[in-house]
Amino acid sequence: MAEKLILRHSVFTFMNEPVLQVSGVSVVLDGESVLEDISFSVRKGEALAIIGPNGAGKSVLLKALLGLVPSQGSIMWAKGVHIGYVPQRFHPDRTIPLTVKEFLLFKSPAFWRPTKDFFAHLDHELSIVGLKKEILGHHVSDLSGGQFQRLMIAWAMTGHPDVLLFDEPTAGIDVGAEETIYSILHRLQKERGTTVLLVSHDLSIVYRYSQHVLCINKKMICHGAPEDVLTPGDLKRIYGETGFYHHHEDPTRTT
Amino acid sequence: MDILFVQALLIAIVVGAASGAVGAFIILRRMALVGDALSHVALPGIALALMWSLDPFWMVLAFLLGAAVVVWFCERQTTLPAEAIVGLLFTASLAIGILTIPDHEILESLFGGFPKLPVSELIFILGAAIGITVLVFMLSRRMLFTIVSPELAKVNGGNALVGLIVLLIFATVVAIGIKLVGTLLMGALTIIPAAVAKNVSPSARSYIVLSTVFGAIIAGAGVAGAAWSGVLPGPTIVLVGIAAFLISLGFLGRRRAGQ
Repeated sequence: MAEKLILRHSVFTFMNEPVLQVSGVSVVLDGESVLEDISFSVRKGEALAIIGPNGAGKSVLLKALLGLVPSQGSIMWAKGVHIGYVPQRFHPDRTIPLTVKEFLLFKSPAFWRPTKDFFAHLDHELSIVGLKKEILGHHVSDLSGGQFQRLMIAWAMTGHPDVLLFDEPTAGIDVGAEETIYSILHRLQKERGTTVLLVSHDLSIVYRYSQHVLCINKKMICHGAPEDVLTPGDLKRIYGETGFYHHHEDPTRTT
Repeated sequence: MDILFVQALLIAIVVGAASGAVGAFIILRRMALVGDALSHVALPGIALALMWSLDPFWMVLAFLLGAAVVVWFCERQTTLPAEAIVGLLFTASLAIGILTIPDHEILESLFGGFPKLPVSELIFILGAAIGITVLVFMLSRRMLFTIVSPELAKVNGGNALVGLIVLLIFATVVAIGIKLVGTLLMGALTIIPAAVAKNVSPSARSYIVLSTVFGAIIAGAGVAGAAWSGVLPGPTIVLVGIAAFLISLGFLGRRRAGQ
């Protein structure tokens, strides 16, 4: 453990402030190898897209980074880094009478008597994702898919994390709302310098919003700038001979 | 006023509040039946205490806390549904209890009564019940967060032991309420106030508060009713609770119509 700490400090001093360094990470779940020897690093303020076919282990990789699943290899976050996470397809139980306000209060230590400052902060975060204050009184389970995903972003942003981990932020959302969510993420990254790690199916998003892309299919396939590494050969290796599939591909869309 | 009645009323109000508070989380974790069955483990504890001429209270507490750990462990470690294990373990407890507890003690063990307690035990029960209620409120955010999303709670510094904590708190509440309400019905005292509160609460915070308040009112009213009509307090508390539940169904209908 002591060795790891020393290594971490020396690495961070000399390189251009990496927020995350991953080397040789493997995950075995129920005796089956899900990820093998994954290595990459993420610098401060960068947007990294993680792509790969279904079952490639993208979500597992995010979970391993968060310590939610056991892994071998080394995962080193910069010291004191504050992480926000939005999981894939999280639906709160309808039988719990939880309001939006209470859901956001999970992030406040004062659950029973929240401060005025905390509410001012919430109002600000909600306005960034385009949600009105009135939504605070609604039940979380009554929100539409798009509203809920915006809430999740606001939720993850509450407390200003340095890194946001998003697992397919637009799964199950209509195309218009999807576009908005990506532009919100992009804005956050530019204005606050938030580092974004994003699992996505959509290659057009990858080209438009991320500086780096990590392609995996249980193993590392490629890592680098999208223009450099997403060659037709790579895409074949990731998605097979039939080529990758463009989700909701729409050539008329612009940012 | 009869001293036994006052004692029972005091216990009912504070234990009712504590059961209501922890019951709110038992219901949300969908452990209502597990909790109910858990309370039966008190029976072998009572039997053993009677056999060794010990105060049943401490033996019951030890058995319940032990059972809470077993349930928690089974829930995590086996692929069998928790209910199956709990069903096996606790019907066995009931069987052992019925066969080993002397006949004249069995009715009181199962359905409670107006307990004659030494002052020290009364003070302990009152203190424990108030302490538990405060503890539940202090842990509310973390427990609720973990129930809503264990993953997000873990990423945000949550505690994997929340399930165990809920069970241990529950076991303690059952132990302190069992002399009044009885082993068979103690589970009901944790389930009913939360069920009533859920029907009338617009938010999670009001649900926890109302469950606590309803627990105190239902148990207090049950004891008063039992003393007035000269019957056992346990079943009376349950029937008062059921009446409150039926009334709350009317609120549920009105809230649905208003939405």
